[in-house]
Amino acid sequence: MDYFEVFGLPRVLGIESATLERAFHDLSRKYHPDYFTTASEAEQAQALRMTALLNDAYRTLRHPVRRVEYLVTLEGFKPDGSKVPKSLLMEVFEINEKLEEVKTGNASVEEIDSLRALIHQKRDKFDTELQAASQEWDELLKSGAPEAKRKEQLAKLTEILSESSYIRNLERELENAG
Amino acid sequence: MPKIVGIDLGTTNSLVAIVEDGTPRVIPGADGNMLVPSVIYFDEGGNVLVGNDAKAKMVEKPTNTIFSIKRFMGKGIEDVREDLPLLPFDVSPDSEHIIRLKIFGRDYTPPELSAFILRDLKRNAEAALGEEIKNAVITVPAYFNDAQRQATKDAGRIAGLDVLRIVNEPTAASLAYGLDKKNQGTIAVYDFGGGTFDISILKLSDGIFEVLSTAGDTHLGGDDIDEQLIRIRKAVNKTKEDLSSGDEAEIVVEQLQYRRSITRAEFEKLIDPTIERTLRPCRQALQDAGLRTSDIDEVVMVGGSTRIPLVRQRVQELFGRVPHTELNPDEVVALGAAVQADILAGGKRDMLLLDVTPLSLGIETMGGVMSKIIPRNSTIPASATEMFTTFIEGQTNVKIHVLQGERELVKDSRSLAQFDLKDIPPMPAGMPRIEVKFLIDADGILSVAAQEQRTGKYQSIEVKPTYGLTDEQVEHMILESFEYAEADIEARLVIESRNEAETVLNATAKGTADEHYGELSAEERAEISAAVQHLRQVMRSDNHQAIREGIERLGQATMKLAELIMNSAISKALKDKRVREIQ
Repeated sequence: MDYFEVFGLPRVLGIESATLERAFHDLSRKYHPDYFTTASEAEQAQALRMTALLNDAYRTLRHPVRRVEYLVTLEGFKPDGSKVPKSLLMEVFEINEKLEEVKTGNASVEEIDSLRALIHQKRDKFDTELQAASQEWDELLKSGAPEAKRKEQLAKLTEILSESSYIRNLERELENAG
Repeated sequence: MPKIVGIDLGTTNSLVAIVEDGTPRVIPGADGNMLVPSVIYFDEGGNVLVGNDAKAKMVEKPTNTIFSIKRFMGKGIEDVREDLPLLPFDVSPDSEHIIRLKIFGRDYTPPELSAFILRDLKRNAEAALGEEIKNAVITVPAYFNDAQRQATKDAGRIAGLDVLRIVNEPTAASLAYGLDKKNQGTIAVYDFGGGTFDISILKLSDGIFEVLSTAGDTHLGGDDIDEQLIRIRKAVNKTKEDLSSGDEAEIVVEQLQYRRSITRAEFEKLIDPTIERTLRPCRQALQDAGLRTSDIDEVVMVGGSTRIPLVRQRVQELFGRVPHTELNPDEVVALGAAVQADILAGGKRDMLLLDVTPLSLGIETMGGVMSKIIPRNSTIPASATEMFTTFIEGQTNVKIHVLQGERELVKDSRSLAQFDLKDIPPMPAGMPRIEVKFLIDADGILSVAAQEQRTGKYQSIEVKPTYGLTDEQVEHMILESFEYAEADIEARLVIESRNEAETVLNATAKGTADEHYGELSAEERAEISAAVQHLRQVMRSDNHQAIREGIERLGQATMKLAELIMNSAISKALKDKRVREIQ
């Protein structure tokens, strides 16, 4: 059972968070080990397995980026950092140099703030791209588009993930440094 | 369904509670107190006292009175090295993996010592409920790691309890709290106890208590505030020495005790840094939950240390709202544990607790780096699956190192388990696909299972991390504790009957010195002296029944003497009264 099946969902990317939460609560009430303490050992083990799966599924699907990562992996694609364009690598390299200054304590508060703003701007750009590509995926799925079309869209999603992973790493490093 | 109790096994105090007719209540001990101090006293004869009786011995017999044992749960000597000089305990040299305290030549591990407290709570519950108690829910600080949780579970087993669930303390508190209020919204539980600090952020909706994030410090509590005060005492000590050459002093020395008054302001200045240390995890938990302080609807205070006004003030400043203090901060965790016990017993189907793991779980990868596979604040039960393979042709073993913590490097993380996947069918390098599944259960405790997928020949294995005690060792301790439980009762009866015999002999000595003794017949006097001799004889034995019989015989023999003395006392009292009335 994959994470989408746990929630009885097709492999869509536009998932309303309130709807997902409600389903999560309802399924928790159905499977949670707390309700099986007096059941047989086999039923207890089943409750534990199902609830762990439900929690893993919710943790992944509630997060818009992790949700896409999961989908492309499920469809046999793999985000790969070595295939990103040179221009992006140059940008990342420059940001990284500034980040080193922050880490070694050689950056002023203003410099840190402008670096953070720069990283957030890049991240927001990727988020917008990812959101648009996710919507396109949902439309393809809904209209029953041929497999080739779908594969093309999955490749596009994978590419955005590969590129944005650099920016996300930089963001994480900046927060850890500050 | 047999009754399930909820137990708050605290650093300073422990409590047991039960839900009856839908309402949780704390069960008092034999002395009527709700709180059982988490103190254990041992005497030379192998007798053990727990709670207030043990606490009374703390000053007089510091080396054989054990307290704050919770700080040692799931720890080895390296983890507690900085604490040891502050504590009067004798540590066994055999303490590398699990700390062992030496008491009259015998080693005790923290789970065994905690079991004495649990056994006492179990007895209190059994006396109050009139039935044997075998099942319990026990609370732990939310920030407890795998080893500390397992140690707590083992303590329960050693005490003869089936621990049906380990519940996080702040979450338990929220259950007790949410019960009265039927709340919806986001709440922060600030739990500052005797030895640990936790902050948990929960979302309450329709009876679901979902923990969004938790953070804390398992080595920060009221004990640390006490230490600040001890430092003052040391400072005062130094002042005294300085004053040998000076001519002004403000210290009162009474016998061997220093006396010095301390103002609230001085105290607050002293403890402010300790309180500040609790605020960092609060900010962390908010960040992890993706919330701002303004998103928090209510703040709940738990733990004895939240009685300190400055603590309340600081928390109020941080969250911008007055925290709830209406529930007794000492009892709320035990009450919540009882509510969770009731849910497990099938009592409350409308409530459900969804808790998280406080620490990230990871595995060692190339270059000593910890690779996280289940992030902190994941709802439990949680699982993760990783694929492993071989690097050399025909390789039949793969080493796996499981870690817990937030740091990047293996050397900064806590090692949970290290094991080999053995007997992998020989294949070219990179060919085997070994699926390793990590599962954190609802208690926050990990188990690992592995299976080779390509051949299907490979037998799956299961591993549980150990923190220094193997299952066999725990089993052995359980067996020993049965002897303890029986010897306990036996020893208590002997001590009680000896004390009573002592009282009766003293009374008899007074009686035979009384003027009325002469009014007895020679036979009667002979029987009294024979009964006294007999009682003195049997008192030396460990046979409480024989002692009781001796007391009985002396009671019979002195009956007439007692009556004579009593009658004369009454008539004397009446006479005195009359004299007074006339006057």
